[in-house]
Order: sequence, then C-alpha cells, then structure tokens
Amino acid sequence: MNQAVSQSAPLLQALNLSKTLGGKRVVDGVDITCAPGEVVGLLGPNGAGKTTSLRMCYGFLRPDSGSVRIAGHDLVTEPNAARRALGVCTQDDTFDADFSVRGNLEQTARYYRPRIEHLNQRIDELLQQFGLDVYANHMPEMLSGGFRRRLMIARAVLHKPKVVFLDEPTTGLDPDARVAVWQLISNLRAEGMAVVLTTHYMDEAERLSDRLLVMQAGKVRAAGVAKTVLGDVVGEHVVVLSTTDPQAAHVTAWLLQRQLRPAVVLGQWHIALNAAGLAAFVTTFPTLRYEVRVPTLDDLFLALAMERPA
Amino acid sequence: MITFSAAIAWQSYAILGRHIRVHVRKWHTALLPPVCEPLIMLLAFGVGLGRQMSAITWDGHALDYLTYLAPGILAYTVFMTAFFQSLFSAYVRMHFQKSWEGQLATQVRLEHVVWGEALWAASMATAYAVMVCLVLLGFGIGGWLTLHWWWMLASVPLLFLAALAFSTIGLLFTATLPSMDHMGLPFFLVIMPIGFASSTYFPMPDIPGLSTIVQINPLHHLAEGLRQLLILGKPTWHLAATALLCVIMILVLIPIDMRLLRRRVFGDG
Repeated sequence: MNQAVSQSAPLLQALNLSKTLGGKRVVDGVDITCAPGEVVGLLGPNGAGKTTSLRMCYGFLRPDSGSVRIAGHDLVTEPNAARRALGVCTQDDTFDADFSVRGNLEQTARYYRPRIEHLNQRIDELLQQFGLDVYANHMPEMLSGGFRRRLMIARAVLHKPKVVFLDEPTTGLDPDARVAVWQLISNLRAEGMAVVLTTHYMDEAERLSDRLLVMQAGKVRAAGVAKTVLGDVVGEHVVVLSTTDPQAAHVTAWLLQRQLRPAVVLGQWHIALNAAGLAAFVTTFPTLRYEVRVPTLDDLFLALAMERPA
Repeated sequence: MITFSAAIAWQSYAILGRHIRVHVRKWHTALLPPVCEPLIMLLAFGVGLGRQMSAITWDGHALDYLTYLAPGILAYTVFMTAFFQSLFSAYVRMHFQKSWEGQLATQVRLEHVVWGEALWAASMATAYAVMVCLVLLGFGIGGWLTLHWWWMLASVPLLFLAALAFSTIGLLFTATLPSMDHMGLPFFLVIMPIGFASSTYFPMPDIPGLSTIVQINPLHHLAEGLRQLLILGKPTWHLAATALLCVIMILVLIPIDMRLLRRRVFGDG
C-alpha cells in the first residue's frame, strides 16, 4: 500500500450520491473521494450498489441527488472537462472488435478533445508498458483474457486521466494475469492518478487499496484502511470451530445469550469477537478445541451477508 | 437541448468517422449490395416482368414498367439501407460488440452515439442511393432508361434527410427489441407495410382508408416525388411533403429513441 498518499485536494469528489432504479433505492447518500496517488477499493456483496455508484461517478448514470467533481470539474455542468480528466475500464471487455490493438488505441484517441499530444509516441509507450507491443497488429479477440484486460486499462489511461475507474479489473483472470494487472494498477498510482476500483477478491482489495469503502444495501457500511474496516464490521478476532463438536449445544446457547450470529462455512462456525468477547469465550470453554485467527476481508463479506435481512 | 445540439457536436462526428473508417476498409464487400440489389431488381422486375406487361398508366402518362420502377427503387434503397443500418448493425454494435459502452467511457455521451448512428445510417443510405443512381445511369447509357439525370444529383440532400428520418425508426426498434430473435418483427411491422403502401413498386389503388395511410407515408411521397422529378423533370409538392414528414419524424422520434436507449443501455430513465 502507498504510505505517502498525497494530502492535496481529492481528484474525485462524489458527494451524497443517491440513485433509484426500478423503484428500488440502489444507492443512498454515498460519498466517495480519492486523492492523487491513492487507490480506493469499493467492496461489498452483489447488489450492494458498487457498480451503480461507480457508474454515477463516471457519468453513465445520472444521480438523483448529489454531485460528482472530477479534478475540480462538475460532471453535470462541465461534462467535457470532467470526462477528459477521467478514464474508465468497464467490467466487460468493450474494446472495438473492428480494430486491431493499436487501432483501438488510435480510435479511442479520436473520442477526446483537446487531442492527445504526441499520440503515436504515447501509443508506443503504452503498448510497451502493458506488454502489448508484440500484439499491436492483432485483433483483440485473438488475445488471452489477461491481455484483453491490459488493453482495456491501456485504453482507459491513453489520454492521461487524473482519475481512473476500474470495475472488477481482474475478474476471470488466472493468477499470473491478475498479478500483472496489479502491477499495472500500482504503476498508475505511482504516476499520481487517483484510482477507484471495485473487486470481489479480498486479497486484491487488501494489497492494492490504500483505503476501503465497504458498501451494503446502497450505503457505505464502513470506510478506512483495511484493519479499521475489519475492526468496525467484523471484530478483532475470529474463532473457528466445528459445528459437530460435542460442546456445540453449549456454544449455541452462549452465542444466543450474547446475540451473536456466527457464519457457517463448510461445517465450521466462524465467530467474530472483540478482545473482551474472546476472553469470555476462552474462560467459558476451557476444554473446547478451536482456532483463533485475525479477521480477513472474507470475514467481512460473511459478516455483511449475516447482517442482510432474510 | 443536448438532444438536438448533439447532432452537430464533434463527438457525433467522431462516431460517424469510426463507422466510415471501418466501412471503407471493407469497401470491396460493401460495394456489392448497392450495386447488385438494384441491378437484380431492375433486371428481374423492370426488364423481366416489365416485358410481360403492357404500359403502366401513371399520372396520365403511359410508361414502361422499368421507367416506373427506377425512381421507386431509388427511394426504397434509401429506406431499407437506413432502416437496416440503424436497426441490425446498431443493435449488433450495442448489444454484442459492446462498442457503444466503450465509446461512452470517453468524452462521448449517449446523445452523440445515437446521432452518430443516425448520421451513419443516413450517410450510408445516401451513398447506396448514389450507387443506385450510377446503376440507373448505366441503364440509361444502354438505352433502356430515359430520366432527367441532373435532377438525380439535386435530389441527394433530400435522400439524406429521408434516410435520417428512416433511421430514427430503426433506432426505435434497436432500443426496444428484447433479443436478436425478434429481429423479424420490424420487418413485418414496418418494412413491409411502409414498403408496400408507398408506390415504390406499383401505383397505389384508390381505396378509401388506404389513401389516407399513403398520404402520411414519407416513402410514398419520396417515391412519387422522385418519379415526377426524374421522369417528368417536375419538382412537385411530394418533395415538400417528404421533407416535412421527415423533419416531423426526426423531431418526434429522436427524443423518444434517446430516452428508450438510455433505459436500454444504462438501465436508467
């Protein structure tokens, strides 16, 4: 993670975003900010409102309320300036199938004003940086999933935007390709871009993000560095024990008494506890066999799922 | 009013440029339909069927069927090409290729994509119409057709306007068709009724009710206007009626297209 995130004014300022789609409040009063050289990870279960929030930030959806400023430009009143300062890598591959890899970059450049300076040089630079130079004249559908993603990200940063949105940039990639994309994202941060990404991969969010925004049911449930977010939502410790343990009935009664709902994963309880709770558990069950570990972002997802109304 | 001002925005022309660039690369295959279709139609119906028929009486004039058919084919080409491009090709780009979404991730907005598609459909239809004119000219040089050739050149702006109007109907279906399997619907609901109630292939019979429908069909006015222009050398009210109906179609349908496409593409609106 970046230890030296710029303290200057945020390049992305999305404030109080709300959106109703199909009669349902999908996003409700969400704030997202991102500073130069910062990576903000947007997390949450399916339907939490991540993609809708992101789509409002890059202008695909009009917010019902709230405002979005990109590098100081309002997305509604100064759409051209705001869009010139943002880059988008959508969830699906949306490159132009009628153009080669290089042709895609050339064509994308035509969708920007002021025109991109020294375009050919910039394209060569990106092809090399993204490892696409050997495929420059190939059609995109001939590329592997990892290289397609590289092309998508290269296209998103072609015009040197100040804010980049990456919607699930590594979904469906093999581990090698994921690591390669992580490196590219890390490079974007080093170049001073503000990066906002959504992901389902917990390790990815932890490794890449300087700050996390955890969304649930259209609202920000927790925000901050991974450790803070985990502490807020999950707790400090996770106790893992078998649901078929002979003392399971006693544990159930103890949990009910404390109004705790553990997550059940493959026949094991994952019980999130704070320090006092763990001390009480240890004292109550001195002969029980269990494991205590630090919470992960997987526990966060499980905790959010448990909070969801049935 | 970005809905209409987007028609002259640079982004719309960037989209149009993209379509032209792709099409020019495929010029050798792109050239076949506008040349072959009218050629086959003129040979099959104009020459083949026409030889079996006595002269057609149209507007008090006795004409051979090939002469009657030629302006109709020109009008029909504009209608079909614009409709097909704005429906089938735009649908593929929007739904399967997802190139719209790629464009929308830039400074291009949905209004520009819609205008870009409409302008492209109109440009392509006009280019096809010009190809048809060249085929007709070939028939003229061969001595089978006599038309007022200079009027053909003068009619090009109107052909473009008509194509732009027809493309707005195609985009309406692009926005509303649930899937590719339903692509046959607009052919039954729009192309066949508009095509057959239009005086393109035969003079419309004077049947009450049908006459009213024909009067609001821009393709009928275009076919009749071109016929009077190319055969008699007379610009008539049909041309003005075509322009008026087309402008009304554009003013009414473009905002509807944009609203429906916004819902289709973004799930919003």
